Amino acid sequence: MATTSHTPHMTKAILAKEILKTRRAFWCSLGLTAFFTIYAILGINRVITTHGVEHVWLIMLMKDQTFTDSIKYVPLLCGLLVGLAQMMPEMQQNRLKLTLHLPCPQNRLLMTMLATGFGELTVIYLIQFVAIGVYYSRIIAPEMTCYVLFNTLPWYLAGYTAYFFSAAVCLEGKWKRRMILALIAAGVVTLYFIQPMPGAYNGVLLPAIVVTLLLTWLCIGSIVRFRQGLID
Amino acid sequence: MENVISVKNLTQRYGRGRLIYENLSFDVPKGSILGLLGKNGTGKTTTINILMGFLKPQGGECRIFGEEITRLLPQSRSRIALLLEGHVQYSFMTISQIEKFYSNFYPAWNRDAYYGLMEKLRVSPGQKISSMSNGQRSQVALGLILAQNADLLVLDDFSLGLDPGYRRLFVDYLRDFVKSENKTVFMTSHIIQDLERLVDDCIILDYGKILTHQPVADLMRNLRRYEYVAASADEPLPDNIEGIYSPREGHDGREFYSFLPQDETRRRLAEKGIAALSLSSHHVESLEDAFIGLTGRY
Repeated sequence: MATTSHTPHMTKAILAKEILKTRRAFWCSLGLTAFFTIYAILGINRVITTHGVEHVWLIMLMKDQTFTDSIKYVPLLCGLLVGLAQMMPEMQQNRLKLTLHLPCPQNRLLMTMLATGFGELTVIYLIQFVAIGVYYSRIIAPEMTCYVLFNTLPWYLAGYTAYFFSAAVCLEGKWKRRMILALIAAGVVTLYFIQPMPGAYNGVLLPAIVVTLLLTWLCIGSIVRFRQGLID
Repeated sequence: MENVISVKNLTQRYGRGRLIYENLSFDVPKGSILGLLGKNGTGKTTTINILMGFLKPQGGECRIFGEEITRLLPQSRSRIALLLEGHVQYSFMTISQIEKFYSNFYPAWNRDAYYGLMEKLRVSPGQKISSMSNGQRSQVALGLILAQNADLLVLDDFSLGLDPGYRRLFVDYLRDFVKSENKTVFMTSHIIQDLERLVDDCIILDYGKILTHQPVADLMRNLRRYEYVAASADEPLPDNIEGIYSPREGHDGREFYSFLPQDETRRRLAEKGIAALSLSSHHVESLEDAFIGLTGRY
């Protein structure tokens, strides 16, 4: 009798499948992020050219402006794009059954899938984060650079939240539950954008990170329900 | 003999509504090929979904390799090759990518079996599955199934989209493969003539019940097509008589199907006031005739 257990080959194979499936969404998200990051940087450069770098300092200190509004919703869009690109093909013609029939533990399988999307988003977000950090460190003080970077963190969390929720909505088999999940997702994501003042989320970032990571349970719940045949 | 699949008192409904079947029980012994036949909507795919653990049955118990299907271990899943209805596969992959992907999961993977079938398709290994015709996609899915070299093959409507030549090739290949390697197959198909060449036993489902479960050879031997000329135009059709299937008015008289011997059939007809003096019985010519004889022509 042939036997198998979960092997690194299986994990690699699932990773390769997920990368293949999401590569277009990944490059689109990266392009989108690069475009808006460059746009934001060019905007600051224009202010520096016309009014001088002191003007940038002044606005940042006096008016609490960080010149990063144009990139605010980009991580959210990336999260949605990667999540939908990854999970929608699984639900077309109930293709998820193929994945669930693979001979490896199902929670580990799902976690590998989610880790792929999470990893791709992390690469995109890190590139943007580093680009912003490097640029700002050349024109403003290190403390202010940290302040700017810290203020972008809720937007990345919104991106991860959108990713996990879009995955859970796609994997959920019942339309009624899908709608409920989508509404909850909209509510949770909005929470990251309702406070326009920089620094407004400083005290809640750590719990928000924990809650975002716990959203993986929503996806596991959807898979369990799918296996029970609770689908429309 | 060891049973690879064991189903006991399976009961299932569509949602909370129509009964698909009640107390369905059957076994699939090792090395046999069982065909599940039925009209659209009689529960063939539902049965496969239950057997593969994608649907929780409302009643009853299913075991594969002795394990309860909702708790099937990954090791056991690696022994089952599953062909989903519509020959669904990862269409964003190419012919070679998908082979490489699956080969990581199945220890007895037979690359040559897959590429042997792919050669007949005249497509390049770099061709994306989504760019292929429906028939070609089906052939890729079947190639992957055979390459798994699994102990149990579960095939849902395997002949869908295949041209006659490839269907014949696959049926012959599958039969040789299954018999020489002592594999077990549980399958459904809309093309009954394919199953006739392939299956040992068959279950014929009707809406809400099993019509028969027996070896194909017995079915063909025991099922009779009866013909008679009605005594008068207003003589009723032999409807609602136990053991009599699909009565209808034909061009040259009336006909129905039954497993009953001629004397018993005549007696049951007489009880309903049907004389059927010219009653004659005939063997069914094919499994398709038997299927239509039992399930009717809609």
